[in-house]
Amino acid sequence: MQFNSTREQVAFLARRATWGLAPGELDVLESLGVAATIERLVDPASAGLAEEASAWADWNFAYDRSDRKARRQQDMEAFERWMGRLLSTERPLDHQLAWFWHDHFAVSMQVVRHLPAMLAHLDLCWSLGRGDVRALIRQVTTDAAMLVFLDGATSKGTAPNENFGRELLELYTVGVGNFTEADVKAAAAALTGWVVRRRDGWKVRFVPARHDDTPQTLLGVDGVHDADTTIAAATSSPACPVFLASKLGRYLLGDIDDATVLALAATFANADLDISALARATLDAGVGGAATPTVLAPLPWLLQAIKATGARVSTAELADPLRSMGQLPGNPPNVGGYPGAATWLASSATAARFSAAINVARATPDEAPALAAAQAGDWSGLADLFMRPAGFSDATITALEDLKPSVSARPGEGALALALASPDLLIA
Amino acid sequence: MPISRRAFLGGAAGTAVAGGGAWAALLRDSLEAAAPTGRPSPATTLAPVTTTTTALAEAVASSSARLPVTDRVLVVLEMDGGNDALNTLVPAVGRYHDARPEIGLSDGQLITLAGAEYGLHPALADLTPFWEVGTMSAIAGVAMPQQSRSHFTAKDAWWSGVGGAPSQTGWLGRWLDLSLDAERNGVDDPLRAIALGGGSPALVGVQTTATAIRDPAAFTLATGPGVDEGGLVEAFLATASALNAEPTLAAAQQAIPGTLDAVALLAAAAGSDNLSAYENPTPGAGRTAVDLLSTAANIIAMGIGTRVLTVGVRGFDTHADQVENHQALLHDLASGLTSFFTALEASGDLDRVMVITTSEFGRQIVENGSAGTDHGKGGLQFVFGPSVAGGIVHGGYDLGALDDGGVPPAVDTRSVYRSALEWLGGPGGADGVFEEDPAVLELLTA
Repeated sequence: MQFNSTREQVAFLARRATWGLAPGELDVLESLGVAATIERLVDPASAGLAEEASAWADWNFAYDRSDRKARRQQDMEAFERWMGRLLSTERPLDHQLAWFWHDHFAVSMQVVRHLPAMLAHLDLCWSLGRGDVRALIRQVTTDAAMLVFLDGATSKGTAPNENFGRELLELYTVGVGNFTEADVKAAAAALTGWVVRRRDGWKVRFVPARHDDTPQTLLGVDGVHDADTTIAAATSSPACPVFLASKLGRYLLGDIDDATVLALAATFANADLDISALARATLDAGVGGAATPTVLAPLPWLLQAIKATGARVSTAELADPLRSMGQLPGNPPNVGGYPGAATWLASSATAARFSAAINVARATPDEAPALAAAQAGDWSGLADLFMRPAGFSDATITALEDLKPSVSARPGEGALALALASPDLLIA
Repeated sequence: MPISRRAFLGGAAGTAVAGGGAWAALLRDSLEAAAPTGRPSPATTLAPVTTTTTALAEAVASSSARLPVTDRVLVVLEMDGGNDALNTLVPAVGRYHDARPEIGLSDGQLITLAGAEYGLHPALADLTPFWEVGTMSAIAGVAMPQQSRSHFTAKDAWWSGVGGAPSQTGWLGRWLDLSLDAERNGVDDPLRAIALGGGSPALVGVQTTATAIRDPAAFTLATGPGVDEGGLVEAFLATASALNAEPTLAAAQQAIPGTLDAVALLAAAAGSDNLSAYENPTPGAGRTAVDLLSTAANIIAMGIGTRVLTVGVRGFDTHADQVENHQALLHDLASGLTSFFTALEASGDLDRVMVITTSEFGRQIVENGSAGTDHGKGGLQFVFGPSVAGGIVHGGYDLGALDDGGVPPAVDTRSVYRSALEWLGGPGGADGVFEEDPAVLELLTA
């Protein structure tokens, strides 16, 4: 993707690395310029933005597995707090990276079924998701939610469970083709012995009697026998920076070429596997032209729509379309994470997007600039509010022009709904 | 009589990206026609409904292949996660019992299959009449070449039907492409292939597109008060009217007409009596085998030219606490299939349909310490239909020659695919779908 102006470049950054912009924010980024915008995203402290507390830090709740009604309310409150943070944060890339790692590890509430453990896992993805990737992966390896999600908590030396060991290699660190079945068995053996004390607040404990301490050879590294040495071996493989740079690069930039991946991987390796360094290099490459158009996943699509319109939607109006489109936060469908563009373009997601667009338009307040632009037929102004300064496609403009004003009782609401549902806003 | 696709859409080809309002107007009409009252009642044409599974199985067996080949429908039931073959079609031998002290099924629990050295998991009891009457068979130790233990690599291979290398197309997508000229004069029709429970890459073709519906119960256009739904639907369609030169945007445009078409179709299918998911439209509740196969039966009965359906059921990655979970999964499967065939018999469509199951791998014979099983190798497929040479276990489990703890591959999955396509498309139906012709498996009656 090539850009014709600074405004187009910062709009690109906003579409990929934030959760959307409120009216006027694009002007601010344009005046900052490209380099300062990237710096503000990657190192918010340098722009004077304070570190945030966890989205659930001030939330003390009594968790009782047997109280279904209370659990449902707590699940809802967690979702509200999470979405509220994404919509209000001044440090959006922190949460883009947290989301990336949530998707990467793909720990699902459907499997974990314990809200405090799930929230603690999400906090790891957020608080460690910008630093040394080895620390992140090491902490996640013996995190209660992960130990339950991939059965580490029931894996013992006499009969190791291979589930986590396999996915550690295949999905979390080096990727298919860069390990053998013997490596899976070695990792599984070295990671035995961790348990989750479910009757004691889901505390994680290491039980030596359940651990196989026999030295293993993992990815060519001898003497691997515990969690620390397993993660050290997996992350010291030369395949690891390539695998992770490729994944984050494709998350932020789309279908990038191999040369770009290798350049990003080299930067990542030279930065001692520092995630922020990788993110900075990735965004630099994107504004430099390495990115390709991508299909937005349901969550960023919906949040971008809400930010730009200021729509006041209920929690259910947030959750229902995300569920129908296949991306309810905290619930990746399998260990591969949330699916990709093919699913977001499937009939289910397309129908749900249409319905959600109408709902967002309905919830848009009367005084919203987006509604005024839609009512006035100011299509380029409307597109700009949605971080598309280059405007809508011809087909969408024609459809907007041809739309009868009577399509909605409130003037402009129908055109706003159509703009939101348009293919244009699905593409970042 | 079943409504035809053409009548349903008023003669419009809901295929290429049509411009303008005429198509949309027809679509709007079809949305109205799709209301339950606007649809001919299926009750007027029902064949007598048999009441027992055995009678149902006999009905499957007695139906003949007299209908044109192009009326046939292949249903691929995907058991996502790697179904534990050894606890589904169980080899009641010492080696099995030794390896599974905690989760193994005792000989007394198993459903005996006539003429086979295996027993069925008790949750599959409802399927035994199909076995006895001869419309069901099994393929044990089935695998793709270089069968992987990674969910993703293995599923890619099972979907593509291409061994050892990545592929951009699926085995069903290639068949849809190859038969497009002969069956549809080269005009794509997204309702020719429908994926229920989520998309299936097996359906990916070059010239053809498929419709993917994750949760039929939640698949509606909900416009709510204060807006004119028809006007907005028409405008939504218009945003796709001239394909953009940028391919990603064009792909997003292309998704729209097929979606609107499919919404109308499913709304009509919801008018059928046995679509339980619509009575309780709880999101997510419509994704069991029972619910998805019920939707599949309704789509088949509508006679809209659907040739291939995939049904995706999740949850078979049973690394821990397998006994209860696997029991529930298999029970859902057996109930779903039995209701499916009952519905097809009622609508007179039984002889049009063949079902094959797939799953990306089998699991290791030795249980792990979590009362579960880890990824293995050779797996299991079931095949159902009037043309199936029933009551046979093809291949088998060679437990004396384990492959790194898994069942060694005995049958190439593509031989099963070949048989399915030779039924679906008639003789030569599999020609050109695979890099080289898979070995013949005597899966069908002559």
